[in-house]
Amino acid sequence: MNKPSSAQNKKVAATYISELPSSTLPSPHSLLTEQQQAKGTDQPSRKRQSKNKSLLGGGKLWFPLGSGILFVALWQIEVFHKIFDLKKYQLPLPSAIASSIQENWSLLLSYTGYTLAEAVLGMIIGSLFGFFIALIATASPRWGAGSLTLVAALNAVPIVALAPIMNLWFGDGIGSRIAIVTATTMAAMALNAYKGMSSVDPLALDLMHSYAANKGKVFRYLRIQHSLPYVFTALKINATASMIGAIVGEFFFSSQGLGYLLSNSIKIAKMPLGWSCIVLAAIAGIIFYMVVERLEKVCIRWHPSQRT
Amino acid sequence: MKGNHLFVRNRLLPAMVWVIAILVIWELTSWALLNIGHLPLAQSKLPYLHEVLATSIQYSGTLIKEGSATFGNAGIGFLLGALAGVVLAILMSISTWIEKLTFPYAVASQMIPVLGLAPIIYGIVRDEYISRILISGYITFFPVALNMLRGLRSVEPSALELMHSYAAKPWSIYWKLRLPAAIPGLFSGLKIAAPLAVTGAILVELMGAQHGIGVIMLRNLYYGPSHVYMFWSTVFIGALLGILSYWLISLIERIVSPWQPEFRSKGGSHS
Repeated sequence: MNKPSSAQNKKVAATYISELPSSTLPSPHSLLTEQQQAKGTDQPSRKRQSKNKSLLGGGKLWFPLGSGILFVALWQIEVFHKIFDLKKYQLPLPSAIASSIQENWSLLLSYTGYTLAEAVLGMIIGSLFGFFIALIATASPRWGAGSLTLVAALNAVPIVALAPIMNLWFGDGIGSRIAIVTATTMAAMALNAYKGMSSVDPLALDLMHSYAANKGKVFRYLRIQHSLPYVFTALKINATASMIGAIVGEFFFSSQGLGYLLSNSIKIAKMPLGWSCIVLAAIAGIIFYMVVERLEKVCIRWHPSQRT
Repeated sequence: MKGNHLFVRNRLLPAMVWVIAILVIWELTSWALLNIGHLPLAQSKLPYLHEVLATSIQYSGTLIKEGSATFGNAGIGFLLGALAGVVLAILMSISTWIEKLTFPYAVASQMIPVLGLAPIIYGIVRDEYISRILISGYITFFPVALNMLRGLRSVEPSALELMHSYAAKPWSIYWKLRLPAAIPGLFSGLKIAAPLAVTGAILVELMGAQHGIGVIMLRNLYYGPSHVYMFWSTVFIGALLGILSYWLISLIERIVSPWQPEFRSKGGSHS
């Protein structure tokens, strides 16, 4: 499937890069290409990209960084409060948030660990399920494809609808959040892995047939190998999705975790504490994402998208 | 017509079998939990689907009213967010300054758990309608902007050269070349965002709103076992709203850009 379009997309992606070099920042750029991959396109080489990195260096990074600092500074001197007519208890100042983080550091840290544990465990289970579904769907396209449709439908179900159900099934503990994350991460993995396994080069497939390779061998040596870049794309999508799933799951019935602390502090109007949960969740999310990205670099070094 | 027949045989039939199998397994499991397993709260865990259906029909008035409150607000936010995203993407493609300023933040915002912001926004605004619209819009904004920008950039250079050789004005390059090229990207952004926008709207309701599907969901959950079927109805409505939003966007995509490869009838064999 999609053979011609993948080649075309490669070309498009390449032109996209050559159009950009003077204006792009290194790290965001890599994410954009991942989103390209998320749509199932093959990867442009990262060669040029890493050259960008060295060419651009830190210099151009100062511009967005500076504007970010300016933003926080304006926030601190209550410019936004004046413009939008907000009170400090509605929108706490950055300094209040920072001191709140400092005060509750150990609590926040343990809750972040808890939430991250839910996210990671759920993501691993969900991704395994998703990969398994993709295997079945590739092995028997006619009947297995139905499972893909189902998983895609499950993906469109809002987490808030899943959360109470999982709670009924798996209790108040960590299990229910793991189940929520599992449900939310399954679809991306199933769809991406399926795309990877089914978009193998027909010539390679012919070669395997000419060697009289059976189905299992085709999977082992060709399809699974070929699906790995797609699998990592899915893992990166899931890294973000799993944090969201874990936090939103905790909004409901939990006695621990960042989501619990966040919704509780909003309810009792402790806004700085709520904001510090958001800050930590964002940091944890970004670290999680970067770990997965790092893992990708290590695991599929052979793939053209990773060569430097 | 042959293609149609094939579609029915190869796609529709397996899908139907899947759906029916799941319905049957669901009902059987529900029965087993209730009558064989004697689990506590068996019906809360897996209710009879026909009972849920009956309850949804009985209270369809309320469900539709609250559901449309949620869906309407999510829809408004979604449209506003999408519009803002499109405008930002076009600005980013025109001016490198704006791009440099906003791009890193747009990307970083994709890595953080955005839905966590829902209670925060509700805390700031304290108005359920506005906060529903705001969170849906915010969630929609970045995926749409990023994907739209990718689409705007995906123009073939030869096509661009052709436009230049015709001495085309910048706006006509945008109108005739870049915007049509951006439509697939725009829609993939919209499709990512649509179910999330509904989720965001429901989340806001859980934080203490007065109307919306999330409110009845929470209320019936707290009422306990006697309101099981109503609770499950709201869950299904929530799921339905998410799927509906995705499906609506896909439908519009098909109408607006019928030329995309995936909408063409497939030729050749599956690999």
